This record gives sequence, C-alpha cells and structure tokens, in this order.
Amino acid sequence: MAAFINILLGGVFHAAVLFLVAAGLQIVFGVQKIVNLACGSFYALGAYFGVTTVTWALKAGLPPFLFLPVLIASGVVLAVIGPVIERLLRTVYDRDESFQLLLTFALVLMFQDIMRYFWGANPQQLGNLVMVYGKVGAGGVDLPVYNVLVIAGSIAIALILGGFLQRTRYGRILRATAENRAMTEALGVDVRRINVVVFTLGTVLGTVGGAFVVPTSAASLDMAVELVVEAFAVVVIGGLGSMRGALAGALVVGLMRAAAIALYAELELLSIYLVVILVLILRPSGLFGKPAE
Amino acid sequence: MLDLGALSVDIQNSHILRGVTLKVGQGELVCLIGRNGAGKTTTLRSIMGYRRPNAGTIAFLGRSLTDLPTHAIVRLGIGYAPEESEVYGDLTVAENIELPTWTCPEGRPAAERIALAYQIFPKLRQYMKRGGTQLSGGERKMVSIARALALDPKLLLLDEPFEGLSPAIIPTISDGIASIRKLGQSVLMAESNVHHIPDDADRLYVMERGEIIFAGTPGEAKRDPAVMRVISGAA
Repeated sequence: MAAFINILLGGVFHAAVLFLVAAGLQIVFGVQKIVNLACGSFYALGAYFGVTTVTWALKAGLPPFLFLPVLIASGVVLAVIGPVIERLLRTVYDRDESFQLLLTFALVLMFQDIMRYFWGANPQQLGNLVMVYGKVGAGGVDLPVYNVLVIAGSIAIALILGGFLQRTRYGRILRATAENRAMTEALGVDVRRINVVVFTLGTVLGTVGGAFVVPTSAASLDMAVELVVEAFAVVVIGGLGSMRGALAGALVVGLMRAAAIALYAELELLSIYLVVILVLILRPSGLFGKPAE
Repeated sequence: MLDLGALSVDIQNSHILRGVTLKVGQGELVCLIGRNGAGKTTTLRSIMGYRRPNAGTIAFLGRSLTDLPTHAIVRLGIGYAPEESEVYGDLTVAENIELPTWTCPEGRPAAERIALAYQIFPKLRQYMKRGGTQLSGGERKMVSIARALALDPKLLLLDEPFEGLSPAIIPTISDGIASIRKLGQSVLMAESNVHHIPDDADRLYVMERGEIIFAGTPGEAKRDPAVMRVISGAA
C-alpha cells in the first residue's frame, strides 16, 4: 500500500510540473501553430536560474522558508526572453512545420551551450532546501510539504489559466485567434501582439515549471531534452492544442513514469511511449484533441 | 469613401485582378457581380489587406490601404463578413457578436452596437447561448454579418451573403441587408446571382476574368444585353 501511495504521490508531483510545461506548449501551438521544442530549454533555464537566484538570496540573508517565492519570481523574471525568441520565430510562422521544428531544435542546442557557458557541465542543486517546510504523512508515506505546495500551485495555475481562457474577454480573443487567425485580424486584432503575449506566457509556464522542480532534483544540461520527450508524450496522449489534454496527459505520463521507476526503472520511457503508440493507433487526436477534418 | 484604382493582383503567377477600378461613396450600396472565380472575393480580400496588389491603388477616406495590415484597415472603419461566414465554433453566438466591441472599443458604446446587430437579425436572440458549431448555414451568415456590423464600421464588405443558403432563409438575409441599408450604412457587396442584387443598389460593377466589364446602375445593366448575358448566367 505504501509503495502504491509513493508511486501516486511521486507521479502527481511530476505531473504537476509536466503540466506547466505542456500547458505552455499547448497554448503556443493552439494560438501560434508552432510546435515549440524549446519549451524544454525554458524549463532547464528556469531550473538553473532558480538555483542561482535562490543561492544568491540565501547568501544575502533570505530566511530559508522564503525560498519558494524567490524561486517563483526567478521563473517569472525569465519572461523577458519570451518576446526575443518570439521575434526569431516570426521568420517561420508561415513556413512548413519542418522549418519550425528545425528552428526550435536549434534553439534547444543553443540554450544548452548557453547554460553550459554560464553554469558549467556539472549539475547544479539547492541542497536540502526541499525539506524546509517539513514533511506530511499520507498513507504511511512521508511527503515533503514542498511537493504538496507545488502540486497545489500547479492546480491553482491550471484553474487560473482555465478561468482566464474561458471567462475573460482577452481569453476569448485568444481562443478566437487559435480557431481562426485571419478572421480575428478582420475584427481588428493585432495578431502579432497576441503572438508575443502567448509566447511569453508559454515561456513563463516552462521556466516556472523548471524552477519548481529544482529543489527536488538537480538542474542538468540533459533536462531540456528529457522534458521535451515527456512533454510530447503528454501532448500526444492529451491531444494537441488542448489544455484539458495537457492536464490528463501530464497525469498519465507522470503516473506511468513513477510506476516504471518504482517497478522497472529501465523501462520508464518504453512504458510511456507504449501508451503514446496506443493512443496514436486508437485515438490519433488524443484524449481531448479535435479530430482532424 | 473607397476608391480602387487600376488594381492588379497576382496569385501564384496568375493574374487574378486586372486593373480593377471601382468606387463606393458615403451611404451607397454598391454591388460587385460576376461568376464564381471572376475575382470578387480577391477584390474584397485585397481591400482587407489579405492580398497585396502588384499594381494600382486602394484608398479609404483618402488613406492608402496597400501597406497597412488587416487589423489597422479594420480600425480605419471597414467591417468584413466573409463568404464562408467564419463564425467561431468555440464561442457562443453572443460572444461572436460581442467580440468586435472588445477588439475595437472606440466609437459608439458597445451596448448600442450589440443592440443594433440584434435589431438587424432579431432571430439571433434565440440562439445567443448556442455555440458557433451548432448553427445552420443561414444562421452563420446572420452571425457573420451582425458581427461585422458590431464593429461599427463606416463601410461594410459583404462577400456572397446568399451563397449556399436554402431558399427559405434568403428573405431573412435580404431583409437584414435592407435594414442595414436603411441605417445609411455604406456597403460593398459581392454577389454571383443577379437575382439577389437589391433593387435599390446605387451602382453595379460587373466583373469577368478579373476585369470590370460594366459600371452603372442596375437599370442601365438591365438595358445592356451583353451585360445581362454575363450576369444572368453568373450563378
């Protein structure tokens, strides 16, 4: 029973972080029709920058229990790279998807070198900061309160994002743009500005996701690609462009990964991608995606 | 108000528009008629900035539109109801019609603009909460025209407002256009069926293979057998 609960809690924690990155990927694809492989790089950058910012803040005298707000702020500050990268992507908006994939993959490689240049090749971590908030018992398993806070934070972000898209005027304009860009322009919307806002939002979701994960595991150069592999599994399972799909896909991948690590660690990716293949065969549009016309 | 001068547009090396010249004055209803493929939609899409001309001019209220993006053209006061309606399926009818008041808040109060849109097509009030995918072709046309009207435009472009509609719904659309006309709204309407041209249209341009082959009143067109041969078989 304890092993099952351990898998469940570990899976939900990973799903919470994965959801943030996948939500960024989904909203960017939904509105801009760009498959952004660089979402993994934003995640890694959020993790590295989070380590640096929190380490600096602690040295400057920040009480350890305040590290979480600083970590979140470090992820949010990285929003500044969103408009810069979006400017670069404008060159491929109207081109074939292969150009978009090549350009965003080039960004992954470039970010990897940038991170190597600033932080070196060795993984960076935050020590035992994850235990600052203590532990909570659940079904015979001790869980860091930090993990509970991250899960709650991700749920809150999912609810806010859902409310923003469904209930606000700007959210409705974003949904209209996702459905029909040309018509939205004919209603007076500057779609270039929408692209900047959406891409920046996608970037922040990735960087905050990376910042959230770094107290529990080290920031490393491999984490961008590892995350992209999982985020794409989330998107295929949940359905491309669907926020509900991102949530469902993240839960499936998070739980599959936790179960595989606990039972057959070697088969982690194999088990996830078996589900991906099954979904592609049985429901190609994913659990919540719209079937292709 | 709107002046197209010797407008030429190529698409993939094909000459789609060849020296199109037309005018729409303040408060006028002007119709552009021609067979499918004659270049009517390309003319409207060029005005909206979706197509860039190879040569010629497009001016609205004395301002050139040829180098402006679509959203800036709309903000100058041009509303567009496209041939395919392009109603957002993910939004309700009410949201579709309110959207222009959020995207272009300048001008008359939003409530007044929305009320006017429903006044033109009162039937839409029954479908306010319905999603855009749950509408018939005629209902989608009504939403599309009402939505363009909610922009509070100075000029309304209607692309084939009767295209693909069942005969039962055509009088509703026709009455709606007549009501828009009564408001003093300037309208440029593209149409492929001569029978759908309103009797009180101020001017008619007949288009054939990307060229304007006739410009005049509907009465003058009816007296010209060569023109009638083209537009009678236009559908």
